[in-house]
Amino acid sequence: MSADTTIKDFEAAIAELESVVKKLEEGDLPLEESLRLYERGVHLSRFCHARLEEAERRIEILNERGHLQPAPATLTSEDDSQGKR
Amino acid sequence: MSLFDLPFEEPEPDPEPAPPAPTDSARDRRRVHTVAELTARIRTLLEEELFEIWVEGEISNCRVWNTGHLYFTLKDGGAQIKGVMFRSALRLLKFTPKDGLRVVARGRVSVYDPKGEYQIVCEHLEPGGLGALQLAYDQLKERLSREGLFDARRKRSLPALPRKIGVVTSLDGAAIRDIINVLRRRYANAHVVIRPVRVQGEGAALDIARGLSAIVKVKGVDVVIVGRGGGSMEDLWAFNEEVAVRAIAGCPLPIISAVGHETDVTLADFVADLRAPTPSAAAEMVVARKDEFASRIDRLEGRLNGSMQNRAHRLESRLRALDARAGLGGARGRLAMHARHVGELSHELRQAIRTRVAMRERRYQGLRLALETFDLRRRLAGLRTRLVAGDGRLTAVRDRRRHALDARLGAALARLESLSPLAVLARGYAVCWNGDRTQIVRDASTLSIGDQVTVTVQRGELACEVKDVR
Repeated sequence: MSADTTIKDFEAAIAELESVVKKLEEGDLPLEESLRLYERGVHLSRFCHARLEEAERRIEILNERGHLQPAPATLTSEDDSQGKR
Repeated sequence: MSLFDLPFEEPEPDPEPAPPAPTDSARDRRRVHTVAELTARIRTLLEEELFEIWVEGEISNCRVWNTGHLYFTLKDGGAQIKGVMFRSALRLLKFTPKDGLRVVARGRVSVYDPKGEYQIVCEHLEPGGLGALQLAYDQLKERLSREGLFDARRKRSLPALPRKIGVVTSLDGAAIRDIINVLRRRYANAHVVIRPVRVQGEGAALDIARGLSAIVKVKGVDVVIVGRGGGSMEDLWAFNEEVAVRAIAGCPLPIISAVGHETDVTLADFVADLRAPTPSAAAEMVVARKDEFASRIDRLEGRLNGSMQNRAHRLESRLRALDARAGLGGARGRLAMHARHVGELSHELRQAIRTRVAMRERRYQGLRLALETFDLRRRLAGLRTRLVAGDGRLTAVRDRRRHALDARLGAALARLESLSPLAVLARGYAVCWNGDRTQIVRDASTLSIGDQVTVTVQRGELACEVKDVR
């Protein structure tokens, strides 16, 4: 998602989405206004979903020299025979 | 100088009278040892008999030689014994032996032949009374607590959405695997940065402290898990050492401690923002926040769409109310029939709206959010248009009725009917929309081969592609 300057961050987006929903639910707003709010709400919830899924799936090792390198395959292998539950 | 230079004390003179001179037979049985032989026998006796003993006493003459070994004397009221502790064992002690300290030593007795001396070779020392670890633990806990490092006010909450999760632990062992497994299962796109450190043995605490200061510098890391898997109290000790505990307390990012099992409690747990009973649990905590937010957003989305649907339903009822008024007003004379006709038409219109709403409902279930915006907007815009148009037309109908102009009314009704999309569709006609469904296609030449069109029939829609334009 491209940077949206109207949304500060994830938590701000949730807060605004909450107030949009509240306004829509309680007020008898003019149709135009409700459509505008609805659109804003959809935009906000899209932003939140995008942020939720944004992080990359990656496992890295920070070595002694302060460099990041990919984790060894043994550590990230799907099958974990050593795993104790 | 050697410790063994110190002379043994002279034994007390034997108070018994001198034994009688040996008899001949006794002299025959006499077996004379060399000093070396005797010493060897003594050694065998002592070392075989006293190879694993515990002794308690006070340390004196304590000194570490440049070889790294510790030499000392253990004494109590009436006796003393020399002792040595080799560097390898000394290294594992959590406290420094000092003169005057009362200790319990575990070790074996050995004999130093050249000096004819015996000593205890210590494998382990601990302070008499409390264990050394317990003592150190209690002292540090008291100190940190006084500094306010355990205050609940210091605890920060975890970030809503960790961008990168920092993990400071050993690459060997189950802890890191448990953490990765949980994150993979619960949060497939987690970005994890691991700083490998030693988590037990000499230097582990410092390693942990350095690891923490390194990982918080990685851009994007906004929460840290520090810990290790289960082990003995000694194994977990690094997490009770001052340098590690202070590093955790001073961590600029929210930090979760996850040391050992549920029942293990270390000082790290007291100063961290959150204590996880196990490394897996720490990973769950990081992820739980994300789940919490995801479901909150889902609920908000449901309400957002629900409120717009309510709005749509209210518009429909208004439309129905207008229809009903028209129907009642015409219940008189010849016009009654036409009124019924109007009623039927408006019924059809209502049905059309209902069908359309139901259709949208179904689509709404299946479509992603992005499409939904457009659908709902178009539906509302359509309803509004109909509302205005329907209102206008019904007024016209009433006017005409007043003038009793049957023919014109009939024509108007016919026109109204023909305008009703459902009536047309019900007769088997279809409506063809352009690709983004904003216009009805009236002229084939506005389309080219390969264009997408949507065709609405009485029940449902067809997504089509233009194969030929004629």
